[in-house]
Amino acid sequence: MSNSLYWKVCLGVTALWVLGLLFVPPFAQLVEQLMLLFLSTNAR
Amino acid sequence: MIRYIVQILGLLLLLLGATLVTLKLKHRNDDGPSVLFPGGKLISGALHEGAEPDWSFTDDVFTIELETANPVSSRRIFVMEHNNRLYVPSGYMHTFLGKLWKDWAFGVSDGNDSAVARIEGVRYERTLVREMNPEVIEGVATKLAQKYAGGVTPETVKAISQSVLDGETWLFQMAPREAG
Repeated sequence: MSNSLYWKVCLGVTALWVLGLLFVPPFAQLVEQLMLLFLSTNAR
Repeated sequence: MIRYIVQILGLLLLLLGATLVTLKLKHRNDDGPSVLFPGGKLISGALHEGAEPDWSFTDDVFTIELETANPVSSRRIFVMEHNNRLYVPSGYMHTFLGKLWKDWAFGVSDGNDSAVARIEGVRYERTLVREMNPEVIEGVATKLAQKYAGGVTPETVKAISQSVLDGETWLFQMAPREAG
C-alpha cells in the first residue's frame, strides 16, 4: 500500500471509529468494556 | 511484509489514541463517570441531610462515584467502611502513571478537599482527610482485603498496610463536610 493510500485509509477508519464512539452508545460501551477487560487482565 | 505489519500496527495505535482522547472528552461533562473515564459534576440523586447513616451498607457496594473539585471531576472508586467511617484509596501514587491518573488525590493534598460521594443514587457532601494512623490503616486494609483482594490473610493485610504507610497508596477518610 502506498503512503498516500495508507494515510487516506487511516483518516477514514479513524473518522468512522470516532463517530461510532460519539454517536453509537453500544459501540462505545463495548470498546470501554474491552479496555476494562484488558486492563483487569494485564494490569499488575 | 514488514511494511504491512508496521502499517497495521500504526493504524491500531492511531485508533487507540483516538479512543482515549474521544472517550475522555465525551465523558468529561457527564453526570458521573463511565466505567473507565472520569465524568463531571454529580447532579442527579437526592442530597443527604441529617445524621450520619450506618455506613455498613457499603459492604455490599463494590464502587461509589466520587466528585472532587478544582477541576470538578468524578470517578468510580473502591470504598471501605471501618468503625462507621468511610475510606477511599488512591493507588500507584509513586508512579508516573499515578501522577497523571490520580491528579484528584494530589489536588486533595493541595487543599481541594471538598468532595461529593454518590452511593446507590444518594449524594453525600464530604471532606477528604488523608488517614495516617497505623491502627486505622490496618483496620481499613483488612476491609479492603476482604472486599477487593480475595479474602483476608495476614500477608495481604500487611502488604496493603505497608503500601499505605509507604505512601504508594493514599487512604482518605470521607469525613462529614462540617468536620473539615
